[in-house]
Amino acid sequence: MAKLANIGDFEKLMETVKAGRESSARSVTVCCGTGCVASGAHDVIAKFQEELKTRKIDAEISSKATGCHGFCERGPLVVVFPDRIFYQRVSAEDVPEIVDETLVKDKVIERLLYSDPVSDEKITHEPDVQFYKRQQRIIFGSNGMIDPTDMDDYIGLDGYAALAKVLSDHSSDDVLDVIERSGLRGRGGAGFPTSRKWRITGAQEATPKYVICNADEGDPGAFQDRSLCEGNPHSILEGMAIGAYAIGASEAYIYVRAEYPLACKHLEIAINQAEDRGLLGDNILGTNFSLKIHIKKGAGAFVCGEESALIASIEGKPGEPIPRPPYPAEKGLWGRPTNINNVKTWASVPYIINRGADWFAGIGTEKSKGTMIFSLVGKVNNTGLVEVPMGMTLKELVEEIGGGIPGGKKLKAVQTGGPSGGCIPSELMTIPIDYEELAKVGSMMGSGGCVVMDEDTCMVDVARYFLSFTVAESCGKCTPCREGNGRLLDILVRICGGDGKEGDIELLKELAGAITDGSLCALGKTAPNPVLTTIEYFRDEYEAHIKDKCCPAKVCKSLITYSIVADNCTGCLACLKACPAGAVSGEKKQVHVIDQAKCTKCGACYEVCKFEAVSVE
Amino acid sequence: MKRIGVFVCHCGHNIGATVNVTEILKELSRYPGVVHCKDYKYMCSEPGQKLIKDSIAGEELEGVVVACCTPSLHEETFRRIADSAGINRYLLEIANIREQCSWVHTDPEKATSKAATLIKTIVEKTKLNDSLEPMRIPVKTKALVIGGGVAGLQASLDIANSGYEVVLVEQNPSIGGHMAQLSETFPTLDCSQCILTPRMVEVGQHDNIDLRTYSEVEEISGYAGNFKVKIRGKPRSVDLEKCTGCGDCWNLCPVMNKPEIRVMQSVSDSMDPDMRSNLDAVIDRNGCAREDIIGILQGVTDEYNWLPRDAICYVAERLEIPVSYVYRIASFFTQFSLEPRGKHIIKVCLGTACFVRGAPRILSQIQSDLGIAPGETTEDGLFTLETVNCLGACALGPLMVVDEDYHGRLKFTRVMSALDSYK
Ligand SMILES: Cc1cc2nc3c(=O)[nH]c(=O)nc-3n(C[C@H](O)[C@H](O)[C@H](O)COP(=O)(O)O)c2cc1C
Ligand code: SF4
Repeated sequence: MAKLANIGDFEKLMETVKAGRESSARSVTVCCGTGCVASGAHDVIAKFQEELKTRKIDAEISSKATGCHGFCERGPLVVVFPDRIFYQRVSAEDVPEIVDETLVKDKVIERLLYSDPVSDEKITHEPDVQFYKRQQRIIFGSNGMIDPTDMDDYIGLDGYAALAKVLSDHSSDDVLDVIERSGLRGRGGAGFPTSRKWRITGAQEATPKYVICNADEGDPGAFQDRSLCEGNPHSILEGMAIGAYAIGASEAYIYVRAEYPLACKHLEIAINQAEDRGLLGDNILGTNFSLKIHIKKGAGAFVCGEESALIASIEGKPGEPIPRPPYPAEKGLWGRPTNINNVKTWASVPYIINRGADWFAGIGTEKSKGTMIFSLVGKVNNTGLVEVPMGMTLKELVEEIGGGIPGGKKLKAVQTGGPSGGCIPSELMTIPIDYEELAKVGSMMGSGGCVVMDEDTCMVDVARYFLSFTVAESCGKCTPCREGNGRLLDILVRICGGDGKEGDIELLKELAGAITDGSLCALGKTAPNPVLTTIEYFRDEYEAHIKDKCCPAKVCKSLITYSIVADNCTGCLACLKACPAGAVSGEKKQVHVIDQAKCTKCGACYEVCKFEAVSVE
Repeated sequence: MKRIGVFVCHCGHNIGATVNVTEILKELSRYPGVVHCKDYKYMCSEPGQKLIKDSIAGEELEGVVVACCTPSLHEETFRRIADSAGINRYLLEIANIREQCSWVHTDPEKATSKAATLIKTIVEKTKLNDSLEPMRIPVKTKALVIGGGVAGLQASLDIANSGYEVVLVEQNPSIGGHMAQLSETFPTLDCSQCILTPRMVEVGQHDNIDLRTYSEVEEISGYAGNFKVKIRGKPRSVDLEKCTGCGDCWNLCPVMNKPEIRVMQSVSDSMDPDMRSNLDAVIDRNGCAREDIIGILQGVTDEYNWLPRDAICYVAERLEIPVSYVYRIASFFTQFSLEPRGKHIIKVCLGTACFVRGAPRILSQIQSDLGIAPGETTEDGLFTLETVNCLGACALGPLMVVDEDYHGRLKFTRVMSALDSYK
């Protein structure tokens, strides 16, 4: 592939690519994000290629594997362009029929359409699916249309136009001004204004300067950064190049979780392609600006998402945070000024440059601009990645996009912000998504995890869960976090085990305060948040555990017993066979009995019984 | 409940100027278990001591907390009062509100609340204290030094010169260790022989040192102060009582047994050549600087599924960094294992989304069926069970990944049949 010698060359290339891609052409895309691949998407795309070839129509109708479309719940997903006919849960066996009916004869296959869980209506076109309808997909928008390993796909959708624009007529101050006016804030957790961070790093005298993309995405239940790296890696590279230009850096790192092999692979491919084309590397598009991007793989430590720990780990040291200031902007990687941003922050930059600061600032609330990508997971009908304008309420997010709670259960809480965030109760679902509003109710935006919990979720157990996560992930450097959170966990384990004592709640709160004051990094400081918010909003559940020794959601094993409801039991033997502990006894067609001494309370019997004959008390 | 008395010292202005003692008294007198609360300008003075002593008797105290300076200064002073007042001295405890509070804080309000917390903590400790009686146990004043390298020699000489008996055990026929193999030493460039040999001679001749060369420690039992050690002397077929060290036997002996010289071992000499070339390839791919260590260890893990000791030592050697540093990295990150792992790695996702969808139950099912806990490997070496924080495929939860295959939307009833295909 020839290197582009100057900006004019690039513009010509873009024209050619665009001309070659008629928008009316028929094509089929298969989502090959991790979720769909795990459900068999690779077989589907292979089958498409084979079928199109045997019918000798592979020249007219193209098929391609794209990045994540977001609607992982219904994967593997297939979209037929140009009409965007949307098929879901497609298997390789369905492919010949899709080729014959839809691609050749233009007929829609009812069976594979998505049916709306509320109205039961069959939806034909992708944009009409309720899950997509309420979203505003900007950063995530191209994911479903491009093959992440084909750079021309990205260029065909105005990719690298922003970089070319910046290099042709923007000074670094111009770029900083645009980002400032757009109101972009960090998408990695704290929401620090991006332009301010860039300016501080840019103003330092020391050189060289570095730029880092934080793709460590450690929050359990969040996978939007992964999907962007897998599905649209060039948008991240372009954003980083623009940032590096504004800051004055010529070397950059992307720090990716090792658990994300596909993301690493796609980023690597993208970097090589961009270097081959002269869009990265020395003298980009014939200008004086050069940028070398390296990939560093993490090795499985949540705390390495914290910026100073991340830098330590790039330097080949254990990922332990160091006290700040000095901030990385002053003294970061190898002691040099370093700017770290999250994947989504970087990916927003090209769109802002292309469409203008005012356009971006026009989306969202007064202080939180643009869109936010959430991973909507947990007890919700439509699990997946959603991109919504800031300011949308949590209720709209969960009910309209998420399609409500499965099994007609009631919503209890929504947890945002991962292990540092908090649980927001159903009464507060009307608050808008906004950095400040979420902080006001004790939670945070975090990196976009959004876990929905229904009435079967025990909030004390949830607090215990998050704390056991942070305790396991604490790097152990400072005492308040290492010991303090450990003691918090001890108390919660005791409460869940039925040994809670009067005064435990106050003790939890006091200890939480000390940990927040004393910990070195935000991991420790924010670890008590899930405990504090659950105490604040679900104090009655704590009291039920402590005083009445009962778990209202029937989750905490020590506080529940399983027994057979004699009136409903048909003696079908299902539970007897399912019980791994051999605690169920009984004959066929006779009422079964559970031996409480043997029962490990795994709930297997409850799950298999079709007659509501197992009760939990 | 124990009757506890609390005595707060002003230490002149040292404590009193920063900590509001009156406030403390008010708060502590309401604290459960505290029956008596007094302050005084200098608690360690005669009248102060008398105040404590009288209160112990008058109020029938069963525990005493003195809030004052550091225990290294006056713990003994106050415990003597306990002795003379007739309660066990270990029922008296010190709360340090000077060095740990008033001297280091400036805000009176916060300092007062911290002092109160410190005192309450010690009150709780005192409630749990038992009466203790000191015992005398005879101690053998004799030391064991293991290893006759230069450090062991110097340690033996220091102890012996202070008048104690030393037993020095060295596994080789001669003391001296690696230093004898060096030429100069950093930073003075002294000749190492010049440092070493005088010490070797001195150790050999010292009356207080019982030198046991060609011997090994087999067993250590007992406790601090009274250890029992079993030392095995290796056979050398020479009567050491009579031997003058003339060396004639050496010249006469028809069998040439070279005296053992331990060269500082480099793992690369003894290592399996295949492993060595594998590791070289990994290191050359990743770079040979300290900062490349994580990538290198990831490469080694890809190759072997774990980090064998030889590999760690070899990496340290090639990167010219201490082995301990490589271990530090290897033990920090969860991706690295210091033990062999099974042929198939089962990872159960415990991310929030999987958690609320029942992942713990999946995990316990696998645990009970394979009989291993997370982090362990089955006896036949087939499976290693691990948990991960999030695999980022939340729509598929609950989820398990075996090697690289994703098994999503798992029902616990289907877990084991999914695993059967790997057997
Ligand atoms: C324990 C801990 C984990 C973090 N994990 C991540 C992460 O996975 N991804 C991320 O972008 N930021 C993470 N952060 C926040 C980063 O320290 C940093 O603030 C962020 O990358 C800055 O980027 P932004 O300005 O674009 O938000 C974490 C912080 C802490 C304290
Ligand atoms: S707060 Fe926790 S994770 Fe952060 S430095 Fe301290 S011990 Fe490490």
